[in-house]
Amino acid sequence: MRSVTINGRIETLPDDPDALLTDVLRDQLGLTGTKLVCGAGVCGACTVLLDGVPVASCLMPATSAAGRAITTVEGIAAATLHPIQRAFMALDALQCGFCTPGFIVEAAAFHDNWRKAQGTTPPSREEIGAALSGHLCRCGAYDNILRAVADACSGRFDSETAAAPRVEARDKVTGDAKYTVDIRHEGQLDGLIVRSAIAHGKITALDLAPARALPGVMAAISLLADDGIVRYVGEPIAAVAARDHATAKLAAAAIGIACEPLPFVVGLDAARKPDAPLVFERSSRKKAANVSEGSPAPASWKQNVRGPSAAFSHKTKMVRGEVANATAANDPLLIKDVFRTAGQSHSCLEPHATVARFDGDHLTLHVSTQAVFHVMELIARRYKIGHDKVRVIADHVGGGFGSKGSLGIDTIAAIELARAAKAPVRVALDRHDELSVTGHRPGTELDIALLPSRDGKLKALSLTAWSDNGAGVNSTIAALARLIYPAEAKALTDFDVISNLPPGAPFRGPGGPPMAFALEQAVDEAALRLQLDPIKLRQRWDTDPNRQRLYDWAAGLETWRNAKPASSKSGRYRRGVGVASGYWLYLWQPGSKVELAIKAGRLIASTAIQDIGTGSRSVIANTVAREFGLDPQEVEVRIGDSILPVGPGSGGSRTTASVVPPTLLAIHQLKAIIESRAKQKPLPGSNAPWRELIAASADIKVSATRPEDSRNLAPGVRSPLKQAGFMGAVFGWMLRRFSNLAVGSGVPSSVQVIEVEVDTWLGHVRVLNVHTGIAVGKLAAPALARSQAAGSVIQGIGYALYEGREVDPLRGRILTAGLEDYRIPGIADTPNIDVHFDEAGFDHVLGGSVGIGEVATVPTSPAIANAVRNAIGVRATELPIRPDRLVALLSQRSVA
Amino acid sequence: MTDSATSAAISPTEFRAAGTDLSERRRSGVSRGPLIDLVRPAGAPDITWNENGAARISAFTTIATLAADAKLAAAYPGLAAAAAGLATPQIRHMATLGGNLAQRSRCWYFRDPHIACLKKGGDACPARNGNHLYGVAFDLGPCIAPHPSTMAAALLAYDATVTTNQRQHLGIAALLGDGSNGHADNLLAPGEVIESVDLDVPAAGERALYRRAISRSHAEWPLAEVVVRAVIADGTFKLARVAAGGIAPVPLQLEAAESVLRGAAANAATIDKAVAQSTVGANPLPMTGYKLDLLRGLMRDLLERIIA
Repeated sequence: MRSVTINGRIETLPDDPDALLTDVLRDQLGLTGTKLVCGAGVCGACTVLLDGVPVASCLMPATSAAGRAITTVEGIAAATLHPIQRAFMALDALQCGFCTPGFIVEAAAFHDNWRKAQGTTPPSREEIGAALSGHLCRCGAYDNILRAVADACSGRFDSETAAAPRVEARDKVTGDAKYTVDIRHEGQLDGLIVRSAIAHGKITALDLAPARALPGVMAAISLLADDGIVRYVGEPIAAVAARDHATAKLAAAAIGIACEPLPFVVGLDAARKPDAPLVFERSSRKKAANVSEGSPAPASWKQNVRGPSAAFSHKTKMVRGEVANATAANDPLLIKDVFRTAGQSHSCLEPHATVARFDGDHLTLHVSTQAVFHVMELIARRYKIGHDKVRVIADHVGGGFGSKGSLGIDTIAAIELARAAKAPVRVALDRHDELSVTGHRPGTELDIALLPSRDGKLKALSLTAWSDNGAGVNSTIAALARLIYPAEAKALTDFDVISNLPPGAPFRGPGGPPMAFALEQAVDEAALRLQLDPIKLRQRWDTDPNRQRLYDWAAGLETWRNAKPASSKSGRYRRGVGVASGYWLYLWQPGSKVELAIKAGRLIASTAIQDIGTGSRSVIANTVAREFGLDPQEVEVRIGDSILPVGPGSGGSRTTASVVPPTLLAIHQLKAIIESRAKQKPLPGSNAPWRELIAASADIKVSATRPEDSRNLAPGVRSPLKQAGFMGAVFGWMLRRFSNLAVGSGVPSSVQVIEVEVDTWLGHVRVLNVHTGIAVGKLAAPALARSQAAGSVIQGIGYALYEGREVDPLRGRILTAGLEDYRIPGIADTPNIDVHFDEAGFDHVLGGSVGIGEVATVPTSPAIANAVRNAIGVRATELPIRPDRLVALLSQRSVA
Repeated sequence: MTDSATSAAISPTEFRAAGTDLSERRRSGVSRGPLIDLVRPAGAPDITWNENGAARISAFTTIATLAADAKLAAAYPGLAAAAAGLATPQIRHMATLGGNLAQRSRCWYFRDPHIACLKKGGDACPARNGNHLYGVAFDLGPCIAPHPSTMAAALLAYDATVTTNQRQHLGIAALLGDGSNGHADNLLAPGEVIESVDLDVPAAGERALYRRAISRSHAEWPLAEVVVRAVIADGTFKLARVAAGGIAPVPLQLEAAESVLRGAAANAATIDKAVAQSTVGANPLPMTGYKLDLLRGLMRDLLERIIA
């Protein structure tokens, strides 16, 4: 027996030499503040102090902790919170919160050492970045983390307990916040999904008996589709539930699988060849996954290519003719290029996970999901049970980014295993699965031709997008170019390219970033050819009133005004400035309800929404608090539970615009009732009249449903779909009919001006300054909106510079299946981020607020690419702009 | 369901120091053999100095200690800088020098338990005809994964020797081989454990610099990395040692570049020649030509700074 001191208590360590400290802390001791994410020492979520020194507990053999003292996040606070915890709370240095405990532990140790050595002199951003370089945050909360650590080191939070703009911040900085992976019921089993090791094959026999026969194995089930065919490495075949993870692994290995391999094809180029093996036979096409949020419109198939989908085109023949003529005439204004973008993995730090439990015929699930209510509906439909018999709970969700919007295989497996085993079951994907099979933004090839007229108007635009979907369909990329820069004619064609790779999934502004990467670079090139300022050209071509205001702001930025032409640059380090625009649709979910109650003198707002780190809890708390003159912390917000009134999914940037209007209606109703029933009016001069009235009120409950928007629109504001004519109307109708999403008027917009520095010797691009201008109406929770905007930029930097799914072309395996090879931005990659909000444009929406999550990331990659073009005089046509690509670009130029 | 290739995987006994490399392979199933935990002798010092000012470093010394020890940094600045530049703070606090030298390849094929490769008892390298974006640019053997040890590259620049429980004073080349053995990451015999590393007395007035080329700012395996040691007196290179990692199956001493520098004037013309000679012997793979650009960039960066 070996013992260890953990947070001051003596505990016993297991003798198993393979037991790792993280697992002992989480599973044996219930200290779930310590998170397991990468399992490879890359991300830092598992960081604990070993005799006061931060270490990666996911790699540390538990036995080697014997005789030492361990401090977890639960032990960081003493009688009061640590200054670092206060700083993280006050400065909103967190979003989903899953990485937060690791950051807190490391930053607290850094703070304590710094203060001993340096007093209250604050450390630089570089010093903090280096010290925290072993931590990753997928939401991109880095900018505020840098501020929080610096301010805590300066002594600002030694005693001050500032209010946290994020209402659940305290639970997240102390490790108390419980995520799905932290749920542990009595007798809970560990479930594991058995997956295909080959890219294409027919499973001819599946023998679960050897698994079931093993001691400690409680269930083994098939997950095979009815045709028994697997179409990518990692496609689910079966699942097992056992008393612990090690036993589940043994059971998975014991399953007998007979398989007839089929010819397969990997990736965009191979799959387009006419003789490529077929991924989906005609009869199985419905099995293809959906990579977008809306339902697929009909399209033709030719072998592995689905399309063309070109409903948003306008005068296609004219485009073809103009481009052909311009090509024949060598028109210098014709811009033609081919751009390629890599697949981007969501990399949520909390994996896809479900804990399922039956109590009689009542099914209770904890799911790491972006849609508690919708997932409840899908489960009820799939298993033909009533809504009253299924409950989906998600108190905290460690990131989603689009990948957790539907009913996942983790949930299906957990339900079916729990039913078979007659015990609660947890299924949590590991990092390898998370980075390979839970969806991704598909890679693309984008063929663009853009033709200005002699008088500088936009005459014709052609964009053809080939989406590297894996075993999925329904990409919408080129079509999105219809709703920006009106032109005389546009030919916009989308193709799904299907191959034996894991299917893509919706990812933050699906289709938006690749479309913008091609279009915004083509517009930038047009400005160069027309010898016009790129912002001025956009002001000329872009008619949207929201972006027009943002262009005015951008044109006045010092960074922009100081930009120099590429021809003026030489030497090793070259700086460049780029601009790009982006938009997203303003979507809201009809039928969204919010209930507002006074219970025992306390205000409670409830809706079946969830908070995936975007701040929906705080949006509701702020809205209610503002109207009643209270502090947000005085409002209790109940979310993350499907038994609450129907709430929107956290996708399509819809949550704010779906819940703020009904919240305001409910507030209106509640105020009227309170006032009518009040026995006595507040004292004259009271500065918190509603607080007194609420405290004195009897219990009341009201609820309201999301109303339609006002038809009274400000000049220039209209539905973006109107630009797309009849097909736009059809699209809008379909989205509402089949996806319960309404497209509102007005266009959420973003314009970004970005400055980079290129190290031409080492092929390194560093983003120095980002100015992100955003028009999403009034801010329901301003501090959190800023956090979202900054995080969107960080994720966009990852897309632009570092992130790319790499595949083994001979086996169809994802090689970037760990966080050391799949490279998301680190804290030291954070530029200076200046966020500008233009709060006009959505007065027709009750409350005036729409969502920010997607629009804010759309322009980042083209703005960086345009800045790189401005720095080195060569255009980067491929994402990510890694060192290998950058040195190739530079050497091509010197050759030429 | 398992790729038939993995049945060839072998399960040798492995030694474990801090486990920062091994734990990930245990979790994934790439390492399945018996473990022997290495226990640091009580009271054993990290670094001992002999009367001439040469250091002996215990294999149990953590990378963080190597990076933080002021005396070591003064005597062997390239070693300290290399230690400070690798992995993450949390790893450096745990990982040992011995473990760093004996760590296994970071190749994504090697780390995938479903794919056979030379280092897992297979008979071919799957990266060669597959995706070798991070592979070698000096193709010296059947395996095309670069050696992962940054400390080995630094120690090579210092002509350090390694003493094991079986052999004394092995050079880095004797420890790791010449890159022609694709089946192993080092030439340690079964049961052989690194115990200590010996460094020579620093040359008078020597300087050293280390840098790695990566895509982000920190915490990334090097695309290429270089350690340069030099003594510059009377405007000429009296001593020049250049070692590079991330580009070959073993750390490479860039002898052609060294011979340009040795005895030559410490000026821009010499640097140009040395940079040009730094890729002598390179034979990059289809996807790794960029590493030569990065190698030249690193050479130029370090040489310009070392003569400054």
